[in-house]
Amino acid sequence: MDRSLPVWVLAAVALVVLMALPLGWLAYVSVSGVEGATLAHYRRVFTDPPLQKALWNTVVLAFWVGLASLLLGAPMAWLTARTDLPGTRLIRGLILASFVTPPFLGAFAWVMLAGPNAGLLNKIYRSLTGADEPLVNVFSMPGLIFVVSIYTFPYVFIMIANTLELIASDLEEAASILGAGRLRVALTVTLPMVLPAIASGFILAVLQALALFGSPAILALPAGFHTITTQIWAMFQYPPKVEMAAAFSVPLFLATALLLLLQKRLLGRRGYATVGGKGGQRRRLPLGPWRWPALAGCLAVMACSIFLPYAILAKAAAARAWAQPLTLDNLTLGNLALTFGHDGTRAAIWNTLELGVMTACVGAGLAALLAYTANRRLIPGHQFLAFLTLAPVAIPGIVLAVALFVAYTRPPLMLYGSLWILFVAYLTKELPVGYSQSDATFKGIHPELEEAGRILGAGRLRVLAEITAPLARSGIIATWCFVFIGVIRELSASIILFTPNTKVLSVVIFDLKEEGQFGAIAVLGIFMLAMTFAVVVAMQKLLGRDFVSVKE
Amino acid sequence: MPGVRLEGLTKRYGDVAAVDGLDLHVQPGELVSLLGPSGCGKTTTLRLVAGFLRPEAGEIHVGERCLSSVTAVVPPERRRMAMIFQSYALWPHMTVAQNVGYGLRFRAGTSKADRQARVTEMLRVVQLAGYESRYPGELSGGQQQRVAVARALVVEPEILLLDEPLSNLDANLREEMRFEIRRLHETFGITTLYVTHDQAEAMVISDRVAVLHRGRVAQVGSAEDLFQRPRTRFVAEFVGRTNLLDGVAAAADVVARGSLRLRVAAGGFAPGSDVVLSIRPHQIELLAPDGSAPAGHNVLDGTVERVSYLGDALDYQIRVSGSDVVLRVTAPPPARCHPGERARVAVAPESCVPLSGAQEE
Repeated sequence: MDRSLPVWVLAAVALVVLMALPLGWLAYVSVSGVEGATLAHYRRVFTDPPLQKALWNTVVLAFWVGLASLLLGAPMAWLTARTDLPGTRLIRGLILASFVTPPFLGAFAWVMLAGPNAGLLNKIYRSLTGADEPLVNVFSMPGLIFVVSIYTFPYVFIMIANTLELIASDLEEAASILGAGRLRVALTVTLPMVLPAIASGFILAVLQALALFGSPAILALPAGFHTITTQIWAMFQYPPKVEMAAAFSVPLFLATALLLLLQKRLLGRRGYATVGGKGGQRRRLPLGPWRWPALAGCLAVMACSIFLPYAILAKAAAARAWAQPLTLDNLTLGNLALTFGHDGTRAAIWNTLELGVMTACVGAGLAALLAYTANRRLIPGHQFLAFLTLAPVAIPGIVLAVALFVAYTRPPLMLYGSLWILFVAYLTKELPVGYSQSDATFKGIHPELEEAGRILGAGRLRVLAEITAPLARSGIIATWCFVFIGVIRELSASIILFTPNTKVLSVVIFDLKEEGQFGAIAVLGIFMLAMTFAVVVAMQKLLGRDFVSVKE
Repeated sequence: MPGVRLEGLTKRYGDVAAVDGLDLHVQPGELVSLLGPSGCGKTTTLRLVAGFLRPEAGEIHVGERCLSSVTAVVPPERRRMAMIFQSYALWPHMTVAQNVGYGLRFRAGTSKADRQARVTEMLRVVQLAGYESRYPGELSGGQQQRVAVARALVVEPEILLLDEPLSNLDANLREEMRFEIRRLHETFGITTLYVTHDQAEAMVISDRVAVLHRGRVAQVGSAEDLFQRPRTRFVAEFVGRTNLLDGVAAAADVVARGSLRLRVAAGGFAPGSDVVLSIRPHQIELLAPDGSAPAGHNVLDGTVERVSYLGDALDYQIRVSGSDVVLRVTAPPPARCHPGERARVAVAPESCVPLSGAQEE
């Protein structure tokens, strides 16, 4: 009957295969022993002291990162959204920059800044005080928490700032006119409305910390402790213990899923829906003499997450020896030549670009098809499409990688060893982001626009091509950019799935750490950042607003 | 020019029947409004006719063609219809000319030059000549409305569907567009279904009005039919204001409520049965307290409870002596009596209209 039906059904089937195959195998392998089903792997995960320690470390890390992100993100969100803080555009831009900075680059930068021996800050401290002991040691749990937090707080910031932007001042004025003082208004009206955003920002930060591989690998391993993600990675070193890794992945997956469920409930009950009212004016609170100290505080945070790390990366890229002062004879273009002259590195850059473009094209296309199918209710069971597409949010990258490794190192699909397995990993991982973007795009296109085409004589596919696609174009391109940025910085899945012939940029950077080649790391890091920012700026132009903002 | 027949049409959403066994025949060239409150199933009916929805029961025929049945639904693009949407649904990425010309591309045997000529001519008809290269975003609400009308009419559809097309316009423009749509209908004579919740709009525009209630046609007829001879309580209340009076038949042509007795022209009741009467406020005549009425009229005495000044009329609430009935009476100014004073009213037996479905809420 409807000739377009196969398109939608195929997209849905692709989705189911993409999700079900790896997760099914993951569960299967985690309980498979030499003699049939066994719970031995799980028993070890929860009883083996080193593994227990890794679990505990992850809990500590995630909790403190969540809290620290809240303490950094919430005040800054309030300052930029509701007060007359000077330079709010600048602050917002800087926070977006730290949002898109790959956390593992930040971790490398902080190794150079706060390593106990050669770290720049410690050297300055020693030369100023004459002390022998370092001021700070980034190779420690507090160091790790700090470095992760300064790249995670933007999640909290965005959640809260966007909510504050939507609360019209008349809601607060309604309380004032009834006799509530300023503090009372803040406590009884504003705070309860932002509370879901605060809680869910906290959960988001915790989730980031749970799933992160790069920063713990760079900072925790030298300090001699493991987190779940680094432990899973270690299980993949020779000889690989895949069953253990699988069993270790499942608690991480469940914890993530549980937290997401909690977040959904928090936001669902009285989230943004009640906050509506775009017409309302928002009056900004005058800070008075506190304007400049507040600005200084914000800039101090940004110094930790942007200025200092970027500066040290730039220095390391341009210096023969990154720890020495940047004098004329320490300046060199050698790092550049060395890095890009290396065949393996060049191959990795090409792999990354190839994967980025491929995943972005297929991902944006698939996400658009799925979002369209769900929005227009084109097939039976369309209600489940959104759920399935968003499910990978609950799968940390490293867990996904373990699952894919298990699924695609055996027939019928032997993808391991080729770029395809990375492609599948990236596609799965980026699908939720792509879907959310596309979903918002199609929600903004009134169905009557399509129906008007139908009733005048155009079939569904023609309407899709001539009416829907042009209207959705900028939204779909934005989706493409989102996916591309996500792919070129991906580390935690790549680190499990790469082979010597299929290295990608992030893996090369990670490997260079073993060789202590900070100059090359810096060059590649800056290269990666440059690509990212180019895409971000293009996207900004396209959407006419910064890409995480709620207002046009 | 074919007509439209809807027979036993049913559409459910979950357990709720939005359209529930609806029957309606539209004559060739006729403009019929589907009138009703929100949730009565009027838009669902229109979307069933357009082929956007598949019925769970019933059939839709246009002329000799069966377009929708439980087993087969002709897709919208092959129904030779046009539709004007509540949101206008103008494509923002196309110019006015491209919007209007879109449907012509699917009409066989129209050359490009031919299409352009017809677009230009149609834009002239809707008074938008010279706007060809504008984008919809550059037009006012009323102009967008005209583009939507032009886009629908230029393809010379067999059936034209309109879904509350005027609800986004301001009051003055709305009134103007009512006459415009009626004029276009008289020019082109296309069989038309028009959905609205505005009774004045329905009455001005339509040849006949179908009042929908709970997914069925409660009554269909000319505006005058519906107003003068409502058949159900729902129609009497929904179309214009009215006094509803629950009583018992005292004789074949007399309805009683307490000590109140009303003679009804369209009688024939079984004595003792429940009867609901509808009496329009402007059909009640206000007399002097001791005045006399034409012979045969029902004369009632009462007390004025409230008088409201409405500019071109006065609205009186009069409590009838010896009963719990409060009648609303509309009369032209100046005020003839004041709250607390005694008043006498007269009602012709022809103005007391018995309704069916006394038990319906």
